[in-house]
Amino acid sequence: MTSHIQSPCTCKSLGHLKPGEAAYITSLARLSSAVSHRLLDLGVTIGTLVKVKRCSLLGGPLMLEANGQLFGLRKVEATLIEVDVC
Amino acid sequence: MLNSWSTALVGNPNTGKTSLFNSLTRSYAYVGNWTGVTVEKKVGMLRNHAAQLIDLPGIYSLQPMSRDEGVAVHYLLHDQPNVILNVVDASQLERNLFLTIQLLEYGAPTLIALNMNDVAEGRGIYIKSELLGSRLGVPVYKVNARRDQGIPALLDDLTPDGMLAKPPSTFRLDYGECVEAAIQRLEALLPAIAHIPSRWLALQYLENNNTIHEWVQQYAEIEPAVERLYEETEQHLQAAGTALHLPQHIRTVRTAYIKQIVAESLSHTAPAKPNLTDRIDNIVTNRWLGIPIFIAVMYFMFKVTFEWIGSPLSDLLDGFFGGAFTDWTSSLLDTVGASAFTHALIQEGIIAGVGGVLVFVPQIFILFLFISFVEDSGYMARVTIVMDRLMEAVGLNGKAFIPFVIGFGCSVPGIMAARTIEQPRERLVTTLLVPFMSCSARLSVYALFAGVFFEQHQAFVVLSLYLLGIVLTLILAKVFSLSFMKEEQTVFVVELPPYRMPQWRTLFRSTWEKGKGFVRKAGTFILGGSVLIWLLSYAGPDGFGVAMNESYLAKLGGVLAPLFVPLGFGTWQAGAALVTGFMAKEIVVSTMNIIYHAPDAAMLEAQIAHAFTPLTAYAFCAFVLLYVPCLATVGIIRREVASWKWTLFSMSYALVVAYLVALLIRFGGMLLGFA
Repeated sequence: MTSHIQSPCTCKSLGHLKPGEAAYITSLARLSSAVSHRLLDLGVTIGTLVKVKRCSLLGGPLMLEANGQLFGLRKVEATLIEVDVC
Repeated sequence: MLNSWSTALVGNPNTGKTSLFNSLTRSYAYVGNWTGVTVEKKVGMLRNHAAQLIDLPGIYSLQPMSRDEGVAVHYLLHDQPNVILNVVDASQLERNLFLTIQLLEYGAPTLIALNMNDVAEGRGIYIKSELLGSRLGVPVYKVNARRDQGIPALLDDLTPDGMLAKPPSTFRLDYGECVEAAIQRLEALLPAIAHIPSRWLALQYLENNNTIHEWVQQYAEIEPAVERLYEETEQHLQAAGTALHLPQHIRTVRTAYIKQIVAESLSHTAPAKPNLTDRIDNIVTNRWLGIPIFIAVMYFMFKVTFEWIGSPLSDLLDGFFGGAFTDWTSSLLDTVGASAFTHALIQEGIIAGVGGVLVFVPQIFILFLFISFVEDSGYMARVTIVMDRLMEAVGLNGKAFIPFVIGFGCSVPGIMAARTIEQPRERLVTTLLVPFMSCSARLSVYALFAGVFFEQHQAFVVLSLYLLGIVLTLILAKVFSLSFMKEEQTVFVVELPPYRMPQWRTLFRSTWEKGKGFVRKAGTFILGGSVLIWLLSYAGPDGFGVAMNESYLAKLGGVLAPLFVPLGFGTWQAGAALVTGFMAKEIVVSTMNIIYHAPDAAMLEAQIAHAFTPLTAYAFCAFVLLYVPCLATVGIIRREVASWKWTLFSMSYALVVAYLVALLIRFGGMLLGFA
């Protein structure tokens, strides 16, 4: 059903990226509405390029960057976000 | 007309709103409360005295998620600003414009202050403000709020005459045939509000704005029809494959429009330099160093507050109150021929009571200055990330850390800061626990006791009391979240603003805003309390001028004293100090000053050294830390949780915890061989 040509992108979850890696968001459907509302407030939605800046100890929140804006998000929630790594 | 002319300052969080407020106004004219909700309303007079400026809480959109954000929507719905001044962050133009569009649709005359241009230019973004203004149909002013650049031009146009001269905003986006039809029908259905365009109301309803939905629910006769219209429109969109739901469609239309104007009005160059924020974050949010650095920052803060700067200043002030000032009032009273009663009232009651508390002003202001610095620099937001894992383990949210840190200054603003937490249960638990963060008023009690018993280790002893509060908070948070917070999903998405060197003007102003309550309390509450306590100590069943041990105060304290015997401070003096300390915790110090007839700290310290041992002194401090929140805090808890049940709970569980902890300290300490 793919209409576009074979892309080099691979689907992953944002929570599995390593610091320094960046990817485009493809789905936020598994997040609770409150979390996706807040992300939208920060301009983070489907198609946004997100970069992982830093991980914390013991599965603490990730520090992410999108549109030049830094923000923090819990690892659990990041894992629910699907991304395309290019 | 001049004084009722109001301008509302609206913008996203972290856009430099406070800096702009400070450069446009000279001082807060007053701080009051919003109607219906209890968030502080800050109003200032513009520098040119042309109008009032109302500082609204920072919001991302008009769809409120937290209580803080609800205030802004509530304001737009129920009050009528003459002008809206929208602060826009030039480095985050696209995101900021979503709010701008909702404001333009609201229809009030609007000005845009484009701030943070330096940050944007550092990233290689340059904005053509005239072009942006002409696309949006409102004037755009480039400002640098921190350097006062662009402020005079903005001020000139913020006058009523300047605003009346401008043509009214005619901003209108086309949301497509299907939605436009729904808007028209809604406009006819919805009740009219005089100052609000019906189109804005209709759009906000279709966008699923809770506040507007609640407002519609008041009108039972129209609600079903309105709801049906909403559902039909949404089904239409779904059938046409345009969008999954209405809010998404509206957002898509706005996104397309915003992207277009942003593309036109932005020009890019290469970014200037690798940014400072990255380098600082590499250290302070490092996975290993983050928590140790935070603890070090706190320790440094206490060192400066209590040992390096605060205490020497307090000692100077104490010397003044106990020495020169007492002598001076004494001779003044002699000259006017005051009675012995007046003499005693003023010297033993007022000067001892109020002076005993005022000496702590330097320490408290230094603490507030630090907290303001941590807030304004951007470090506070990082602290939420660093601490989130720990907070999550006890069932709270990293965001709860900010109310806790502010609670070190005073529980009242701390509890108010809990409003930024989205989920009601998390907010409730945070509110209940903030009073365990040792506030500056309690500091005066520790400072007194630590000065007597732990002179060599003051900062360490005081820090240990703070840590005691923190540890208990974490334990109780876990208990509370297990018992009544099971179902709730938490939200933790925090914006991390770039680091900025805080401006002195803003720092001093916010320190003063926070600290003046303490000074005011000294002049009102503590003055009254001191007079009352002194009278109770001066009068007894046998008349006036009785020996202290025969006074009403001794009787009152004596009733409670047996309860405190197991804790090691079962004297009537301690009992009386604790009862009066409910009014405000620093009154514990005032009461002791009065009871022990001590005009200055040195005398008081000598008396206290007789009445306590180091161990019971520590247990007493811990008890003061934990027992019932002060009257002002109980008041704010009542307002924030809107329930007497929870308010009474907050008082009673604290009392139980305080008693148990003090008992544990005493017997634990005795077992360990401390006398």
